Amino acid sequence: MTEKKIQDWRKIIVALREYGIYFALAAVVIAFSILSPEFRTPENILLILLQVSVIGILAIGELFTILTAGIDLSVGSLLAIAGMFSALFAQQDSPQLSLALAFLLPVVIGVLGGLLNGSVIAGAGVNPLIVTLGTLTAFRGFVVWYRVNPIYNLAPGYRWIGQSSLGPLPLPVLVLIAVAALAGIALNYTRFGRYVYAVGGNEQAALAAGINVKLIKLAVYVVSGLCVGIGALVFTSRLGAAQAISGEGFNLQAIAAVVVGGASLFGGRGTVSKTLVGALIIGTLFNGLVMLNVSSPVQQMVIGGIIIGAVWLDGVLRKKM
Amino acid sequence: MISLNNIRKNFAAIQAVDGVDLEIFPGEVHALVGENGAGKSTLMRVLAGFYPDYEGSISIEGKPVKVASVRMAKRMGIALVHQELSLVPELTIAENIFLGDEPAATVPGFISRRKALEQADKLLQEIGVNLDPRKKISQLSVAYRQLVEIAKGLSVKPRVLILDEPTSSLTAPEIKDLFRVIRKLTAMNTAVIYISHKLDEVFEIADRITVMRDGKKIATEPKDKWDEKRLISAMVGREFSSLFPHSHACDGKELAMEVSGLSRPGAFQNVSFQLHRGEVLGIYGLMGAGRTELSEALFGLKPATSGEVKIFGKAVKIKSSWAAKSLGLALVPEDRRGRGLVLMHSIGNNLSLPTLKYFSALGFVKRAQEKTEILKVMKEFEIQAEPSAPVETLSGGNQQKVVIGKWLIRPPRILILDEPTRGIDVGAKAEVHAAIDRLAAKGMAIILISSELPEVLGMSDRVLVMREGELVCEYSRPEANPENLGAAAAGVCI
Ligand SMILES: Nc1ncnc2c1ncn2[C@@H]1O[C@H](COP(=O)(O)OP(=O)(O)OP(=O)(O)O)[C@@H](O)[C@H]1O
Ligand SMILES: [Mg+2]
Repeated sequence: MTEKKIQDWRKIIVALREYGIYFALAAVVIAFSILSPEFRTPENILLILLQVSVIGILAIGELFTILTAGIDLSVGSLLAIAGMFSALFAQQDSPQLSLALAFLLPVVIGVLGGLLNGSVIAGAGVNPLIVTLGTLTAFRGFVVWYRVNPIYNLAPGYRWIGQSSLGPLPLPVLVLIAVAALAGIALNYTRFGRYVYAVGGNEQAALAAGINVKLIKLAVYVVSGLCVGIGALVFTSRLGAAQAISGEGFNLQAIAAVVVGGASLFGGRGTVSKTLVGALIIGTLFNGLVMLNVSSPVQQMVIGGIIIGAVWLDGVLRKKM
Repeated sequence: MISLNNIRKNFAAIQAVDGVDLEIFPGEVHALVGENGAGKSTLMRVLAGFYPDYEGSISIEGKPVKVASVRMAKRMGIALVHQELSLVPELTIAENIFLGDEPAATVPGFISRRKALEQADKLLQEIGVNLDPRKKISQLSVAYRQLVEIAKGLSVKPRVLILDEPTSSLTAPEIKDLFRVIRKLTAMNTAVIYISHKLDEVFEIADRITVMRDGKKIATEPKDKWDEKRLISAMVGREFSSLFPHSHACDGKELAMEVSGLSRPGAFQNVSFQLHRGEVLGIYGLMGAGRTELSEALFGLKPATSGEVKIFGKAVKIKSSWAAKSLGLALVPEDRRGRGLVLMHSIGNNLSLPTLKYFSALGFVKRAQEKTEILKVMKEFEIQAEPSAPVETLSGGNQQKVVIGKWLIRPPRILILDEPTRGIDVGAKAEVHAAIDRLAAKGMAIILISSELPEVLGMSDRVLVMREGELVCEYSRPEANPENLGAAAAGVCI
């Protein structure tokens, strides 16, 4: 190959690595649009956005932990607790109806759950996978023990968050956009963000630079918990009900979104915008396969395959540099 | 004989190796010298099969070959001992040495751990190292890792052994052992390519010396044809003085740090010393003397278990690196890839990491100011690259400049340097030395840990010698000389 050709190839690879995920999203959307007339309606596009919003919010929190080479498996279970306590105070004709509490509690619970994860991980130095695997189980056990029966009949003032729209855009989508914007600012423009990347990029070097690594690790689990709290509020109010089994499998979807979005599970690499695209890809796939009447087990196989394929491709493109 | 013809290799816009011819004869020690980023490592990595996309031709015993992979290079008898340590930390010494080449057991398809251990032990003995091959790499100091790398290189019984800065963290006795091994190899007709920035070593061991600059070969000549001055000017492209600057005067009036009875069992015991404002305090010692451990304790990475530390008269407990930093301490660690750098991140982000606090407001980084500061250090240390390039694309020496430079954006009150000139070229070394002198003149208190005698002697106001975890002798600048430091390190204070 001539010098020029090599240079051209390199440019293409760099571009693919940087923007490939956007192409992938476009490709998925175009493919489904051709295959299914129901898919390409504006209503359905909005539906996808709505469906993605909760997973997207969780994925952004997850991104922070993954950037420090950690992980948070407990997000789904914590969402169920936060949603349940939120709904307790949002029941239509309950004497304890208090919208203030219903809005505030899930966020507080999310933060407390994150603090619990973070203090064991940062303080006691236990592996995050183990800690959050433990709390994944324990949180779920707690909420089922606390209340097996679902809570229905939530006040309209509460359901407003999940069910109303501003212009064409559903409110949950706007919440997602706001969370993403704040997270993007935190990661790109603040000292905290730099430290998060450094801790994940090389923890030893972060320590040797005099960074309070424990504090950063604690903080990322709190951020994840905070996102769970917001996600729980949106989710419960959109559904108009809270259940002990809510959020099962959300952890894996959130992690998948982050990873499909090109973040490294070894830490130090990943962005908010690509995480959003990752969530959109997965959401679009689920929706599109439903539209094509693909059965649920087959959907799962397809999506599982695509997650692996995406990460493999990312690795290949990275090596080529 | 191996000959390389018109070898070229580029990384995007950087022409790392630019048309180099080289001949390597059996049984010779061929030294390769040049500034940081001259392309020495890249050239050798081409020969060892890491960059199959090189241009030019290579022939072995007159037969043209295409070195398309590391495996292939190994089969042709080319072994490379990396400059940057490349061992797998969680595997044992023996597993690392035979990684990918595990000795076969009698049952086909299985590997023999016993054979691997035996052979690893033999290799280590050969280079004079007493280590249990069952030990994990992560438990070894940088110097021992370097020795394991060398043993690994020897394990393939190479036709050419390439040593890329093998001695950058070794002390005198290990270097002597290594030279003994090199002489043994060359007597058996193995060729050795020796890359180093330590010119005294080059003059001691080499038969021929090749100088590279900016990716090109400047000259190859027998050792006797070179002298130090000509060699340096060939490397740097200009005349150059390699004298140590020592313009600062330490009055020894104000105490910066006072350490008494500091211990951490297994690492160092009962260490006491004083450090003054504007003083460069050298700490010399042999491998395993506990100098790095001491520096890590002082900076709070592995806190001491007993003893007292006073900083500018105030008793302090240093339990973490962030506590140490806020007391005005800074550490330039020995292990640059493990501790010094976030390799995947940019040069700029690495440089500003420890001092971000000074250019941020309300938690937000002031990017414009950050950029100015970054460019300033890069200019001061002559790191020629884009600040946004990943730091791992820099040559070894330039990476080291980043590790030092990142603390100098906002100079600390007390600076601990652990082998600060490891792997950097004569020019950069002089810059670092000048920086040390300048900082001391401004009143910074500096601890300089170094295994290079000339550096310790040339830079320090006072020298402490450490042996087996204890400070054993102390010499003032006029007293210290190579003889008494060497003797002290080995066990006799004279
Ligand atoms: N993987 C890479 N990607 C991009 N540039 C690289 C890469 N490896 C080396 N370079 C560049 O190639 C040039 C030559 O580097 P090389 O490592 O060969 O220098 P060197 O002579 O070994 O220097 P040192 O003495 O500092 O080890 C440098 O400009 C370096 O930045
Ligand atoms: Mg090199």
